[in-house]
Amino acid sequence: MKTSRIFQLTALLLVVVSVVQVGYWLIDLRGQTLVKVESAQRLYAQQLEAARTLLASGVPVGKVEAALPDLTIRSGPAGSEVSVSAGVTRQLAEEQQHRSTQYLWEGGFFLLALCACIAVIWMALRAETEVIREQESFLALVSHQFKTPLASLQLSLETMTLRTLTPEQSRTLIDRMLSDLQRMETMVAQILDGVRLSRGRVDLKREPVPLAGAVGRVVLQYQERAANDRISIETEVPPDLQVLGDPLAVDVVVRNLVENALAAVAPVGGGKIVLSSRRAGADIELTVRDSGVGFRQSDQARLFEKFSRLHPGAGSTYYGTGLGLYIVKRLMQLLGGSVTARSEGLGRGSEFVLTWPSAASLPATEPS
Amino acid sequence: MSGGARVLVVEDDPHLAAGLAENLRAEGFTVETLHDGAKALGWFSGASCDLIVLDVMLPGLDGFALCRALRERGTTTPVLFLTARGDPADRIRGLEAGGDDYLAKPFHLKEFLLRVRAILKRWDWYKASSASAASAVLRFGGNEVDFRTFRARSFAGEEQELTEKEAMILKVLAEKPGEIVSREDLLERVWGYDVFPSTRTVDNFILRLRKRFERDPAQPQHFLTVWGVGYRFLIGEQH
Repeated sequence: MKTSRIFQLTALLLVVVSVVQVGYWLIDLRGQTLVKVESAQRLYAQQLEAARTLLASGVPVGKVEAALPDLTIRSGPAGSEVSVSAGVTRQLAEEQQHRSTQYLWEGGFFLLALCACIAVIWMALRAETEVIREQESFLALVSHQFKTPLASLQLSLETMTLRTLTPEQSRTLIDRMLSDLQRMETMVAQILDGVRLSRGRVDLKREPVPLAGAVGRVVLQYQERAANDRISIETEVPPDLQVLGDPLAVDVVVRNLVENALAAVAPVGGGKIVLSSRRAGADIELTVRDSGVGFRQSDQARLFEKFSRLHPGAGSTYYGTGLGLYIVKRLMQLLGGSVTARSEGLGRGSEFVLTWPSAASLPATEPS
Repeated sequence: MSGGARVLVVEDDPHLAAGLAENLRAEGFTVETLHDGAKALGWFSGASCDLIVLDVMLPGLDGFALCRALRERGTTTPVLFLTARGDPADRIRGLEAGGDDYLAKPFHLKEFLLRVRAILKRWDWYKASSASAASAVLRFGGNEVDFRTFRARSFAGEEQELTEKEAMILKVLAEKPGEIVSREDLLERVWGYDVFPSTRTVDNFILRLRKRFERDPAQPQHFLTVWGVGYRFLIGEQH
């Protein structure tokens, strides 16, 4: 935003300078060249007239030439012929030519500069419009995402008010409402992360982070939810592996991938999620494999885009904001790592691989 | 009829779908629930219902596309759209896709039930008033409209398929030939009370009817505008 503002101001300044320069040329052309040439032409016309009168009244040619040195007098059988000397005419023509060439070059340069400025202004304005449009669509999408759990909450509450329910029915509605609140809480967290990341407002540390610890924390958090949906989560992460990154960001990345895997496995009625890690040269890879709905090859490019939801709802109890994988991708970029996704196709599970730069291994004796 | 009517709820959010189904059942309706637009389209090849409660953002096929596809197939079942977007442009999109009513999320349960009943009531009226052989067919100016099949033959011998809204407007107008029917009246009888942001939409439907049934739509003989009030329908031609 700031850069585009500076660009715009610079470009505007250049436009103003160009306009002033063009104005100066016009005044200069009029004051210094055209008027000068015209007055010279008038003066020589008077001199020619005077020379002709003097010659006609019998003044000798020599005297006239001495009095009017810029004129050339040729005597012939038909009388004397008076003209402005070739040197003076050439000088006038050269003067005009010199000015024209000067203006052509300067004009060309300023025209180019002006075009460049207009292009810069146009691009800056376009970028700004794009930012505004993106913000508007972001707001629309965010409010849209919230309306469904809100509608569900309202419906459950009004059902409880309107109808006489059995304790079991009330329990179902309360569970439903708690789950709606949980959804909204996840959404808020993801939206805040997404906004910070897309505006670049993150200050990430670069320090050794024990991977097994991060994976363990996240898995523990989701164990109960997974069990409710008949999903088992397994981890195969060697305790000595350390990645170079920000401890909080590593947690966020792993959490979002586990959320994504749960949302993919739940609609198929349960299954397995495996988190495994290995050293790959100077890097460390963490693979999150699930037996869920998978995705089409053609959808692979859209996976990490903001707000892309390949399976919105799909009858599961998980609801994406469409921001989870975008957050993963942006954070991995900022951490100097990468994320890739692979699937054999719809219904055949998927695999996400995170790659970080490796930090020195933890000593094998040190408990993790 | 609305008491035991069969309602199909197409909503991808399982909580919302379950909540709606439970409440509709409690009101005495028979309810089917589907979570996917494409599956809902398939469902209609072997089944039917009296009302569709349709979410707009659906996996497979979105609500608008599903409604359009159903209308193209000739399914006239009324549709109540549920959507998270409530802006007027989106409402119009929904109604132009062939929807009957539109409810923005989050909504009040009582309002939802009221709208469901209102739509079914309008359809009950339409079906009842087209039940007898005499009321089922309308003839005017060489045109013939069959309200039961939604089919018509124009004065030029052209076979036409009416949308259910066109048929309903025609039905309301033909109930009182020669009398003035206000735009608000038409809105209320055909769509319900506050569906449209303006009465302009009624004008658009009248234009469509004129194109179908008037010899010169610019000089209408049957669908006459009463400036500032509404419309008057004449069976015979105006001289």
